[in-house]
Amino acid sequence: LAAAALWDVLGILLGGAELLFDGVKEHHVTLPSQSEPWNMKQLLVWIGQNLLKERPELFVQGDDVRPGILVLINDADWELMGQLDYELQDKDNVVFISTLHGG
Amino acid sequence: MCQVDEEYNGLLESPVASSATKKCNKCKETTAALVLKPGESLCRGCFKEHFVHKFRAMLGKNRIIFPGEKVLLAVSGGSSSCAMLNQVQEGLGQNAHKKLRFKPGIVYIDEGCLLGQSTEKRQKTMAQINSLFKMTGFPHHIIPLEMVLNLPPSVLEPVHLATDDPAGSYKEAVDHFMQSSPVHSVDPRVDRSELSALTDATNPQLIAEAQTQTLQELFSRVKTLTAKEDLLHTLRRHLLVSTARTEGYSKLMLGENCTRLAVKLLANIALGRGAQLAVDTAFCDPRYGDIVAVKPMRDYTAKEISLYNYMWNVPYVFIPSLETKTADKSSIQRLTESFVVKLQVDFPSTVSTIYRTGEKLQTASVTEDIERAPLKCLFCMCTLDTALGETSAFQATLISEQLSNVGTTPMQASLRPDTQTKCGAPCDQQDGEEHCQAQAVCCSHKGGDSMNLESLLCYSCQQTVKDMTSVEFLPQYIMSEAQRRNRRSQIRHEISEFLLTEDGDSPSIKADS
Amino acid sequence: MPIQCSKCTEQRAVLKRPKTGQSLCKECFFIVFEEEIHHTIVSAQLFKPGETVAIGASGGKDSTVLAHVMKVLNERYKYGLNLMLLSVDEGITGYRDDSLETVKRNQEQYDLPLKIVSYEELYGWTMDAIVKQALDRGAKLLNVDKICTGHNADDLAETVLMNVLRGDIARLRRCTSISTSSGGEDVLPRCKPLKYAYEKEIVLYAYFKKLDYFSTECIYSPNAYRGHARAFLKDLESVRPSAIMAVLHSGENLSIKESVKMPVQGTCGRCGYISSQALCKACVLLEGLNRGLPKLGIGKHHRLHEKLLSQQPLSNAEERKLKAVDF
Repeated sequence: LAAAALWDVLGILLGGAELLFDGVKEHHVTLPSQSEPWNMKQLLVWIGQNLLKERPELFVQGDDVRPGILVLINDADWELMGQLDYELQDKDNVVFISTLHGG
Repeated sequence: MCQVDEEYNGLLESPVASSATKKCNKCKETTAALVLKPGESLCRGCFKEHFVHKFRAMLGKNRIIFPGEKVLLAVSGGSSSCAMLNQVQEGLGQNAHKKLRFKPGIVYIDEGCLLGQSTEKRQKTMAQINSLFKMTGFPHHIIPLEMVLNLPPSVLEPVHLATDDPAGSYKEAVDHFMQSSPVHSVDPRVDRSELSALTDATNPQLIAEAQTQTLQELFSRVKTLTAKEDLLHTLRRHLLVSTARTEGYSKLMLGENCTRLAVKLLANIALGRGAQLAVDTAFCDPRYGDIVAVKPMRDYTAKEISLYNYMWNVPYVFIPSLETKTADKSSIQRLTESFVVKLQVDFPSTVSTIYRTGEKLQTASVTEDIERAPLKCLFCMCTLDTALGETSAFQATLISEQLSNVGTTPMQASLRPDTQTKCGAPCDQQDGEEHCQAQAVCCSHKGGDSMNLESLLCYSCQQTVKDMTSVEFLPQYIMSEAQRRNRRSQIRHEISEFLLTEDGDSPSIKADS
Repeated sequence: MPIQCSKCTEQRAVLKRPKTGQSLCKECFFIVFEEEIHHTIVSAQLFKPGETVAIGASGGKDSTVLAHVMKVLNERYKYGLNLMLLSVDEGITGYRDDSLETVKRNQEQYDLPLKIVSYEELYGWTMDAIVKQALDRGAKLLNVDKICTGHNADDLAETVLMNVLRGDIARLRRCTSISTSSGGEDVLPRCKPLKYAYEKEIVLYAYFKKLDYFSTECIYSPNAYRGHARAFLKDLESVRPSAIMAVLHSGENLSIKESVKMPVQGTCGRCGYISSQALCKACVLLEGLNRGLPKLGIGKHHRLHEKLLSQQPLSNAEERKLKAVDF
């Protein structure tokens, strides 16, 4: 129950999703420590509060990612990893790709 | 792809602020009590007249229900089917203008077992429904869903009637009726003796607990609410049709309204039921053969019905369903409903536009020649929509499944998907149906069950079965009929092997040439 | 525990396929994705050996993946096609500048000839609504036999829903067809090799292959209704991923009453291009500019087409409506 560890996470936004984050594609973030490991659900809330710059409804819907935005965790589809319940590991790499515009 | 360059602009109405007119648009005298649609305000009296007229006009125009015919009204207890019941009562009344002349009966199916309701709770609901039905004086049948487990396999075979010109026979029937019976002799209460026997036979107390459990086991094997709703719809229909048959009814009256049908049409598109849209939404649904299902409420919006029930104190009860209190995204059906309802707020013509799209679709013609009749889906009894060419969404999905499985190298599956590698049996190009069935055999192994169920199902019912972890708890009548059909198609396949013909060659690109 | 690839059963899976629910590793995904498009091309007989095929290239994900896969398959299976990229310079700053840069990079990356048709070159004016026509006319100049575009399964399913919501039965009937034959002298046959490919897989293919594509919010915001249809489709996909194929299956199997009247597709009375009205959009726009009535090209004014064709003057009331607004 070592709670002191910090989670370093690399978030990458592509496919137009970066436009909601001031056009910045790469975000190196260190999540504050908490007693339980961070999961994706909490990460989304944290992103909404700390990184998202505009129109949050285009990124999150309810407590989920907006349909049409793909999520990869360490370059694998998050649908293979439990989606919102996935527990983040230190140095995880999370990619959000919007599929919603540009053909 | 960006598709904004297509011309989709300026064609859609935006909501128009309703101009609150004080007087009724129709009689121009009384103060209007409601706004039917923007610019159409009616007073209570004119609204009732409009509502009643619409019902009789719908039946009159379609000329499908014959005088003296026994018609079974499927009443769920909800507002739409209760309004339908009310209209039938009104129409049979002594002072009714353009009197209805058929003999009604009512059926209610109790689905409490799927909601985990206690026996007491279910009995209470059924007693409530019973008192509602009793007031009408019509014969009624209150049936627990468990009864579906006792159906005979024959319920899955449409019964073909020798039909001559329907319009001509309708006229004959009317004439015959007028001569043989003075109007007042049509007493809806004549069947009362049958009634008590039936209600006793289906007394919930007599339902073996084992049957309730079997049904619950079946639904616990269905992983998604989408598939649960679809399966329930199928089973309910089988039970309704079978009840109509055993009780001697020849028509089944359903209470689906315009709003409901618009949602159903769109949901059915998302469920892959495109080929069946017309049968599912048209006034007349002939798929069961001898029992024709009709939808007399299809011209009323949900709003119209609610207003009518409220203003004229039509009793109805709220009965919870599988969908009750579920989130918007819990199933395709539920999602579609909330989508249509929300869109209707911004674009008031949404429901009517979808509904009119349905009007332009064709009902598959009923083939009388049984030998040559197209194969029907084992579940929904619609014509099978899986005998498709190589370039189709259905085949593309099969290809995807095969390619993503162990052992298929790209070259094997690449160009001639109809060769031995896939089906393990030579496929006859001339016979698309058999070809596709044979293919489906290869990709439908459910829990080691050798039963080849999916090839007997339409695209959409296949999706439902895909959402099941096991089919072992499907009712016996379905499994028996499936075995019978499989045997039959096996024999047909064996015969066709003797009749192999060369297929024509196509001139376009072949990769391994 | 990582999920294994359902095909090779050795590697770690990197995606769950929305169409079938199966999981694949990166290498197997590449093979399967390409093979499926190959299957579509062969089974639908989209091309004949020796044809010159223009790939409509916008620099976006769909056309970039299309160009890449077409190049790979043409070589792997010896289609014998003469491939080229065709792009339209709409003369709109910002959006198209960057996307054209992407297309130019694609040209080098795939070693395919590129032709950029500009509106200036074709007509001397710019307007986004006639990209399609520009592609056709550009292709004609280059002796192209066919145009293929990057429309994917999601795009087609969205169009099916859209046409049901709008009650557009004529479009509903033809919107799922994989190819259109030549619609007249000026119109080339078009096809959609990515018809059965999910958007999700196209994006992941581009991502894992590190393809160079350009993405941004399209500056023309889609009208509210299409936006609703798109959002609904994406919601459907999240409830049941196979729903997109189900919508396509529905669209392919609708049977429309023979009694329903269909608009006859005609040709433009001035230039002969395919048009459902007496004059095509391009000619109306041009006419508007010539007559000093810029709003003629915006909105619906079919009633005036006969007058325009016969060079008749418009009434004062008609002119007033079509003049530029003074602020």
